[in-house]
Amino acid sequence: MNGTLVKNQLIFDFASGILGPAKSMFASTYLQLNSNASKIGTTFENILGENLMDNENIHPKNLKYTDCINGKDTNSTPILNDPVTSFFGNLNDLNWKQVYKGFKEYKASIDDKDELKLIKMEPGVSVPLHSHGGKEYILVLEGSFSDEYGEYSKGDIQINDQKIKHTPTASKGTGCVCLSITEKEVIFFGRYASFLNLFTFIKSFFKQK
Amino acid sequence: MNRIQKDRDEMAFSEIFDFFAPKVNAYFIQNRIKFESSEELTQEVLSTVWLKSNQYDSKKSALSTWIFTIARNKKIDFFRKNSKINFKEEDIREFLYQDREIELIEENEAKKQIERINNELDEQQKIMIKMNFFENKSHKKIADELEIPLGTVKSRIRHILTKMQVFLR
Repeated sequence: MNGTLVKNQLIFDFASGILGPAKSMFASTYLQLNSNASKIGTTFENILGENLMDNENIHPKNLKYTDCINGKDTNSTPILNDPVTSFFGNLNDLNWKQVYKGFKEYKASIDDKDELKLIKMEPGVSVPLHSHGGKEYILVLEGSFSDEYGEYSKGDIQINDQKIKHTPTASKGTGCVCLSITEKEVIFFGRYASFLNLFTFIKSFFKQK
Repeated sequence: MNRIQKDRDEMAFSEIFDFFAPKVNAYFIQNRIKFESSEELTQEVLSTVWLKSNQYDSKKSALSTWIFTIARNKKIDFFRKNSKINFKEEDIREFLYQDREIELIEENEAKKQIERINNELDEQQKIMIKMNFFENKSHKKIADELEIPLGTVKSRIRHILTKMQVFLR
């Protein structure tokens, strides 16, 4: 898959706020760990903010500015500094499930069609060759791993589609802890299609260069 | 914004409210949130602007960006709390599209959109989008490099984005 394009799409979808809870959590962690991704995210947010300035006006009927001054403090979704810890708590205290020797996972209970889980691999452990039903997103939280396509360390993500077959191996020195998203279904229509299409369009600028 | 942060100036806030409340409200409605809820969410967003004004740093981002991110986070929250509604929408879409060849639709749609957008943008607009989107250049920098006034860059980029917004719907 074209790495940059898919990554940028994830960031753009996050900035637009169209991702489900699992991917939102994944993407916010990615932006927190990866300064380059965070920079791209800010660019998108600036653009979307500018768009808001130009948005049409639909006036609220019963709302005055004094309602907001006297409004209650709704403490929802603060911009978190450490999404992983605030979501999972201390990773050492989790009830990890051993899948096989040296490979553990912890599934998050989150109401979403995508599955969010943590993966922990001991140093040198491999995942047998596999491919994917839907798309799979992996973000390295600690340590590093490598496969046929390269090496991935803290803050790096890898996005795999159905066509990719690979054998990830945790680094011998540190092992690795990763956050992963597995799509149960991949839908390329409706909301998502327009964004996929947007990036195809942006890609075309590079071709013309 | 400075007046709000330093002096808790209610008049200054009312100006921000007058400008942004209708736009934020429209944003929620465009995201298929019903009027009643959109108004509640708009109140929450503007309350946050007032109550957490100290979290805003004008050096780091434009006010519109800050308000947009607050509104976006409220939207994500809203859909999470109402996830059943969300799933229903997903299901309807699946039903609508189930008999069609999805891959084909996607490819053709993308091609058509690219053609349409390409027809609408001139060379300079393409260059400006590229500089802004991919090279992370500020409007000021783009203005300097292309030797055109800053105001022109801002208004042109805004114009292009409005155009692109149509394709995001």
